[in-house]
Amino acid sequence: MTPTPAPSARTWRFLPAASTYIALSIAAFVSLFPFVWMLISATNTSIDIIKGKTSFGDAFSTNVTNFFTLVDVPLVFWNSAKVAILTTLLTIAVSSLAGYGFEMFRSKMRDHIYSLVLLTLMVPFAALMIPLFMMMGRAGLINTHVAILLPTIASAFIIFYFRQSTKAFPTELRDAAKVDGLKEWQIFLYIYVPVMRSTFAAAFVIVFMTSWNNYLWPLIVLQSNETKTITLVVSSLASAYYPDFGVVMIGTILATLPTLLVFFIMQRQFVAGMLGSVK
Amino acid sequence: MADVRLTEIRKSFGALDIIKGVDLSIETGEFVVFVGPSGCGKSTLLRMIAGLEDITSGELTIGGSVMNDVDPSKRGIAMVFQSYALYPHMTVRENMGFALRFAGMAKEEIERRVTDAANILELGPLMDRKPKALSGGQRQRVAIGRAIVRNPDVFLFDEPLSNLDAELRVHMRVEIAKLHKTLKSTIIYVTHDQVEAMTLADKIVVLRAGVVEQVGAPLDLYDDPNNTFVAGFIGSPRMNFLKAQVASIAPGFVTVSLANQPDVQLRLPAAAPSVKVGDEVSIGVRPEHFRAAGQGDADLVVAVDVAEHLGNTSYVYAHVSAGERIIIERAESRSAINREKLTVGLSAASSFLFDSAGTRVR
Repeated sequence: MTPTPAPSARTWRFLPAASTYIALSIAAFVSLFPFVWMLISATNTSIDIIKGKTSFGDAFSTNVTNFFTLVDVPLVFWNSAKVAILTTLLTIAVSSLAGYGFEMFRSKMRDHIYSLVLLTLMVPFAALMIPLFMMMGRAGLINTHVAILLPTIASAFIIFYFRQSTKAFPTELRDAAKVDGLKEWQIFLYIYVPVMRSTFAAAFVIVFMTSWNNYLWPLIVLQSNETKTITLVVSSLASAYYPDFGVVMIGTILATLPTLLVFFIMQRQFVAGMLGSVK
Repeated sequence: MADVRLTEIRKSFGALDIIKGVDLSIETGEFVVFVGPSGCGKSTLLRMIAGLEDITSGELTIGGSVMNDVDPSKRGIAMVFQSYALYPHMTVRENMGFALRFAGMAKEEIERRVTDAANILELGPLMDRKPKALSGGQRQRVAIGRAIVRNPDVFLFDEPLSNLDAELRVHMRVEIAKLHKTLKSTIIYVTHDQVEAMTLADKIVVLRAGVVEQVGAPLDLYDDPNNTFVAGFIGSPRMNFLKAQVASIAPGFVTVSLANQPDVQLRLPAAAPSVKVGDEVSIGVRPEHFRAAGQGDADLVVAVDVAEHLGNTSYVYAHVSAGERIIIERAESRSAINREKLTVGLSAASSFLFDSAGTRVR
C-alpha cells in the first residue's frame, strides 16, 4: 500500500484562510437566501410559490397591481415612516442625554440608578404588554401612534450604548468648552454631538430598523386600518383565509426597502460608530 | 494681566483631602510652575484656579476679585491642556475663534485676533486644516493660539508638552518662554518635568501630597532646598543621599561621619543645628558636586556599577559600602570610570545636611 503523502507546509498555511472563506460563504448564503427567495417569489403566482418554484416568473406586475389595489400604500408608508422617524429621533434624544448624563455627572446614586436601567433589559416584553396596554388604555392612547412611541423612547439598550461610547469622549474637550464659556447643554449640542456623530449614526440605524420592523406592540395597540403600519398590513395579508403569497412578497420587498436604504446610506458611519466615534 | 492669590485653599473628595491648605501669591506677569510627582495635586490645584474643580474651602482671588464661585469663562483665564483639547470637528481657525464667537464678539475683531495669534505662532498655512491633519507640535501651537486670542489675565498650562517627543518638547519649551517674554502675561504652568520647571519658571512651587513643600526661584530651590524631597526633585540627575551620623557639634558646624565608613568625615556649616551628637542624618550631594580624589574635604571610595558616556559628560552609577546607590557626574575624565573602584572627593561647601525626618539642617 502506498503511504498517503503528508500535507505540504503550503497546504497548512492556506487551511485557516480556506476555513474562514467557507464559514463566511455559508453565513452569506444564509443571510442572502431569504432576500433572493423573496425577489423570486414576488414574480410568481401564489400557486407557483406553494409548489416551491425557484425561478423567476411573469406575475410581477399582477402582484404589484393587486398589492396596490388591496393596500392604501401611501397611508401605510406614511404611518410607518412617521412612527419610525419620530421614535428614532426621540429615542436618540432621550437616550443620548441619559448616556451623557450617566457618564459625565458623578453622584453616589449614579451607578445604582444605572444598574436599575440595565435591569429593565432583563424583563421580557411579554411581561410588560398587559400593564402597558392598561396604561395606554387609561391614558386614552389606544389606536394612536403615541402609544407606540411612549414605551420605546427611553431605551435601556441605547442608553447603555451611549454611556459606553461616551467613555471614549475626551473629558478635556468638556473642560475646554467650559473655559470657552459653554453651558452644559451647549457642550452637548455643539461639542458632544458633532464629535460623537458616528455613535449617533449607528444608534439611528439600530433604532430606525427596530422601530420600522416593530410588530407585536403595534399589533396590540393599533386597531384601525387608518393607523396601521406596513408590518401589520403585510402580516394581515399573509394571515388571510386565501393568502396571495406573491402579493405578500411585494409587500415584504416594499417594507424592506427603507431599512436597506437607511443602512446603505449610513453604512460607513454605522461601522465607525460601532467601533467607537473617538479615535 | 493679573495677580493670583490662594489663601488656605483646600480640596476634598469625601474624607479624602487632595489639597491640604495651600497659601500662594502669584504676582502680575510672573511665570509660576507647579511641579511635583504624579498624584501630588498640582493639576487639581490648577483646575481649581480654572474653575473646573470646586474649592472645598479657602479663598481664590484673581486680579483682586474673589473667584471661588465664578464661572470658568468669567475668571479671565485661558487654559492649554495636556491633550490639546482641540475640537476635532472644527478647523484651526474655528477652534481659535470659537470662544470669541460664543462670547458674541464682532466677526472683524475675531478675525483680527485670530490672525494676530496665528502670526505670533506661525500658524498661517494651517488655518483651514482640522486637528487630525496636524502634527503634535502644531496642535499644541493651535491650543496656545486658542488661549492667546482670548487675551486672558492668566494663562494656565496643564502639562502641555507631555505628549510631545523629546526634540519637539525642547523646541516648544523655548517657544513658550519666548511667548511669555512677548505677552508678559501671568502664567501658571503644571509639569512633572523638573527640567521644564527650571528652564521656564520665575518661581517654582514644589508640591507633595497636596502640600506646598517649597516656593522659590529655580536656582534658590536648587541651591538651598528645605528638605530631601525638594532636594531630590530639583536637579537632574537627582541628588544623592548618603547615610551618616552626627560625630560632633561645634558653634556654626556639625561634623558627620558616613555610615559604615566612620573615617570619612565632613564638617558642614550649620548656624542653628536641630540635631545632636549620635543622631542619624543624611548628606545630600548633587552628582555634579563630587570632586576629584584629594580635591575635596574628604575622600569617598565607591564601587562602580555602570557608566554612561554622553559625550559632553559621563555619569557613573555606583554604590557605597552602606549600600546607597549614587550617581556621579564626571565631565573631566572618561577613562577614570573604567575601573571597579573609584575615589571621589566630597566638598562640605556643596553638600547639604538633612535630619532623620528629611528636614534641612542649617
